[in-house]
Amino acid sequence: MTATAFHSRDEALAGGLAFAMHVLFLILLVFGVSWQHKPIETAAVVDLWRDLPTVAPPKTEVEPPAPVKPEPPPPQPRVEAKPPPKPEPAPAVKPDIALKEKLDKERKLKEQAVAENKKRVEEKTREAEIDKKKRAEAEALKKKQAAEADAKRVASEEAKARDALANQQAAASAKVVDEYKRRIIEKVRRFIVLPPNVSDSAQVEFDVVVLPGGEVLGAKLKKSSNSIPAYDAAVERAILKAQPLPLPSDPALMRQFRELNLVFRPKE
Amino acid sequence: MNATLTHDMSVLSLITGASIPVQLVMALLLLASMFSWYYIFLKAFTLRRTAQQTAEFERQFWSGADLNELYQRAVNARESAGSLERIFEAGFREFTKHRREPGADVGALMDSTRRAMRATYQREMDKLESSLSFLASVGSVSPYVGLLGTVWGIMNSFRGLANVGQATLSHVAPGIAEALIATAIGLFAAIPAVVAYNRFAGDVNQLAIRFESFTEEFSNILQRQLH
Repeated sequence: MTATAFHSRDEALAGGLAFAMHVLFLILLVFGVSWQHKPIETAAVVDLWRDLPTVAPPKTEVEPPAPVKPEPPPPQPRVEAKPPPKPEPAPAVKPDIALKEKLDKERKLKEQAVAENKKRVEEKTREAEIDKKKRAEAEALKKKQAAEADAKRVASEEAKARDALANQQAAASAKVVDEYKRRIIEKVRRFIVLPPNVSDSAQVEFDVVVLPGGEVLGAKLKKSSNSIPAYDAAVERAILKAQPLPLPSDPALMRQFRELNLVFRPKE
Repeated sequence: MNATLTHDMSVLSLITGASIPVQLVMALLLLASMFSWYYIFLKAFTLRRTAQQTAEFERQFWSGADLNELYQRAVNARESAGSLERIFEAGFREFTKHRREPGADVGALMDSTRRAMRATYQREMDKLESSLSFLASVGSVSPYVGLLGTVWGIMNSFRGLANVGQATLSHVAPGIAEALIATAIGLFAAIPAVVAYNRFAGDVNQLAIRFESFTEEFSNILQRQLH
């Protein structure tokens, strides 16, 4: 093999190795050094709930109160203003004074009658109007009462639905709470180092204050096992060691885990 | 809210998100690093082979082989001959040429032989030392180039900060991380180059000493043949 052949082979090899070197470093850099690849877990995220969120309330959809049917038009007042009676055709004028007087009289009478008639008609229409007004008032009152009753009914239905929902949720959450309580107790039990001479009947009760992340803020001895203080201490240590405690991810349930009452027995 | 806190901080996004001058600096450094690694490997191979060939030739030479035979072998395999073999060949050729000339002065003969060996030695050393200067300059300059990129990036990052009323760490950090990538690449290019330069310079020095001492000893042997 000649020197130039050696040289060209070396060159190719060196080039390949240099390239491989950089690929290797790039891979190391990309996969090895990932600065804060994950979002920082924000130290304090505060969710303020005014009320427990109703998780997708089953659409009980309280029907809006049926619109009150437009009342039938108020009955037309029957009284039709009668056209004033037609003046009778004046009798043929008789060239007679007496007759004239008579006629005068008659005319006066007639005029009176006409006026009276007019007055009567006016009175009737007024009465009809009053009547109409009264009836409309009664109607409005009735309507209002009906609407109120409706609203009441709707409100009570809503309340009922809410109660039912709450009950349902409470039942579901109670199940979850029990499940997680069991898990917490199990986890804590794993960390208990039983001191010797613990009787099986010993029972310890702890009030544990838990933070949303599962950290234990404090464990307070509620009921000691009396006979063996070493057992109390062992359980307390185990509770602190078992952090973070398993908690449900649903923040709504967190409220029930703020303060836990945990009971431990040596054998279970 | 999370948008400011969760910048994608993977290396690739930091590189692609950098400003143009910083990216130029990075590209330049990457190129320098590429070449320096290429020369590192090339030099490593060459020096190792040269050391092997030198050792082999020294073994042959000192095992009492006939000088003419060694010379013939060197001439025949000139292409694959090592540096020391070539030095020997140049010196011996000069020596035999001069010796055939009648009335040659011993001093002049030895001088010309030594000059011929010296010339070949220089040429071989030049070949061995080639591109070591490149490694040296990459090793000394690339940290500064990287630093330049970083300073530029941080300057930009702070200038962008001026528009923000309330500056938090999350505003400054991505820009600085981006800028620091340039320094990282510069150091990445410089460290192997410096290490390799020192190593190779030492190796070349060793070889040079071997060649020189061989030249001296070979001159002595030739001079002894004249008497």
